Amino acid sequence: MLTIKNLTKSYGPQQILKGIDFQVNQGDVITLIGPSGSGKTTLLRTITTLEKGDGGTIDFAGVQGELAHLSKNDIRTIRQNVGFVFQNYNLFNNKTTLQNVTEGLVVAHKIPKAQAKTIALAALKKVGMADYVDHYPSQLSGGQAQRVGIARAIALKPQVIFFDEPTSALDPELVGEVLKVMRQLAEEGATMVVITHQMNFARNVANKVVFMADGQVVEAGSPTDIFDHPQVPRTQQFLAEILSNV
Amino acid sequence: MSLDTNFMAQVFKTAIAGVPVTLQIVLVALILSLPIGFIFALVRIYRVKILSPIIRLYVSFVRGTPLIAQILIIYSAFPSFLATIIGKSAFSIDPINYAYIVFTLNSIATLTEVFRSALQTVDKGQLEAGLMVGMAPRQTFVRVILPQALVSALPNITNATLYLIKNSSLAFIMSVKDITAIAKTQAAFSYNFLEAYLVVWVYYLIIAYAAELLFWFLERYFSRFQRTTTAKSFNWHLFSFKQPTTTVQAVQYDPKKELVNHAHN
Ligand SMILES: Nc1ncnc2c1ncn2[C@@H]1O[C@H](COP(=O)(O)OP(=O)(O)O)[C@@H](O)[C@H]1O
Ligand SMILES: [Mg+2]
Repeated sequence: MLTIKNLTKSYGPQQILKGIDFQVNQGDVITLIGPSGSGKTTLLRTITTLEKGDGGTIDFAGVQGELAHLSKNDIRTIRQNVGFVFQNYNLFNNKTTLQNVTEGLVVAHKIPKAQAKTIALAALKKVGMADYVDHYPSQLSGGQAQRVGIARAIALKPQVIFFDEPTSALDPELVGEVLKVMRQLAEEGATMVVITHQMNFARNVANKVVFMADGQVVEAGSPTDIFDHPQVPRTQQFLAEILSNV
Repeated sequence: MSLDTNFMAQVFKTAIAGVPVTLQIVLVALILSLPIGFIFALVRIYRVKILSPIIRLYVSFVRGTPLIAQILIIYSAFPSFLATIIGKSAFSIDPINYAYIVFTLNSIATLTEVFRSALQTVDKGQLEAGLMVGMAPRQTFVRVILPQALVSALPNITNATLYLIKNSSLAFIMSVKDITAIAKTQAAFSYNFLEAYLVVWVYYLIIAYAAELLFWFLERYFSRFQRTTTAKSFNWHLFSFKQPTTTVQAVQYDPKKELVNHAHN
C-alpha cells in the first residue's frame, strides 16, 4: 500500500535519515520505536511531505516517484490520502471541535457541508467527543484535544494514519483515554503508523514493530520478535533501558 | 490663578470644528496603512526578493526618526515636488493632504511590524495541520492562520491608533486646522493658553477613550475562541494607567467531566 525505498534526509551537514526502507500494508498497525533523536519524526514528516526528502522513492496512492522531485499534484495526492495526528494536537485554534473536523472535508475534499457535518459527528462520536462540538480547543483538556485530533484525521478516511507520539504531551491520567481510542481504531482495521514510547501499545496492539536508531532501521518484526527475541545488541540495549524506566 | 471658564466654553465650541479634521486624518491614515502594512508584512515574512530589504529599510527609517522631522521633511519637500509633477501651484493644495501622507507613511511602518510579529506568533503546526487535512497552503493561511494573527495583532493596532490620534495633533505644523490648531489660534488672541490647551486635552481624551472602547469590542468579538484573555472587561476608569488583568472563563467549564489540562501551546 505504501512503500518507501532508500530514503535519505539531511538537515544541513547532518544526515538524519540514512537510507530507510519502509513498507506499510493494508490493515497494518506499525509502531515505530527508538531513542529520541533517532529520526522517527523526520521519517513520518518526510513520508507525508511535510519535509522534503533528499533521496529515495515513494509508491503510494498512485504516486510513484522520487521523494525529492514530487510534483505539486503528487504532493496533493499524498496529503489527501494520509492522516496525521500531532504530538501537540495542532487543532485549529480558531475553530470549534466540529469545525476542526469539517474543515478538511469541506475545503479540501469538497464534500457538501451537511454531509460533512454528518461524517464529522460520527467521527467525534467514535472518539467520545460528540458532546463537545461547540467547544474551542482552548476549552478542551489535552486528552480531549488529542481525541478531536484523531477524529479530524479519521473523518477524511485516509489510507494510512500517522501518529507522532500522540500521548507524550499528555498528563499521565489522560493517556489512557487516547490509547483506548487508538486501540479501537486498530481493531476496526485502520492502517496506522505510530511513534510511541507506550510499550504496552507496541506489544499488544501493533502487528509490527520497527526499531530505529541513528537514522537507520535497526530491526523490524512482530512484537514477539522484537520484545522477546531481539537479535541486534542495539535493540536489546534500548529495550533494557526503556523497560527498566517504567 | 483662576481659569477663565467662559473662554474655555468658547474654545470648546469653536474647536469642535477641528474634531472631524482630526478624525479624518486618523481614519484616512488607518484605512490606507492597514492593508498596505499587511501586504508589507507578508513581503517581509516571505522574504520577497528586492522588496523585502527595501521595506525593512523604510521601516527602520520611519521608526528611527522623530515624527516631527518626518513632518518637516514631507512638508517642505512635497509642495515643490508636486508643483513640478502636476504643474500646479503648491499653495492651491489643501494642507490636510500633507497630513494624510505623513501619517499614512508613518503608520504603514508601525503596522508592518505589528502584522509581521502577529503572523509570526501563529504556531507553524497550524499550517501543517491544514496541509495534513488536504488543504492548500493558501486555504490554510486564509482560514486558519490569518484569523488568529489578526486577533493577536488587535491590541497593537489599538495602540497604533491611539498614537495616531495623539500624533495627529502635530498636523498644526502643516497649518492643518485641527483641534489643536484652532485652540492655539484662539488662545493667541488673549494669551489664555492654559485654558485652550486644557480644552484640547479633554478633546483628545474623549476621542482616545472612544477609540479604546471600539477596539475593545472588536477584540472581544474576534477573540471569542480563546478561553482566557487579559482585559476581558473594559476598564471604564479614565485615569488608571493599566487595563485590569482579570482572566475570565469564557465558557462555564464542568470540572467533573474532565480534569482541566493546560498543556496547550
Ligand atoms: N527542522 C530541523 N532542523 C534541523 N535539525 C532537525 C530538524 N528537525 C529535526 N532535526 C534533528 O534531526 C534529528 C532527528 O530528529 P527527530 O526526527 O525529531 O527524532 P525523533 O523523532 O526520533 O526524536 C535530531 O538530531 C534533531 O535535532
Ligand atoms: Mg519525535
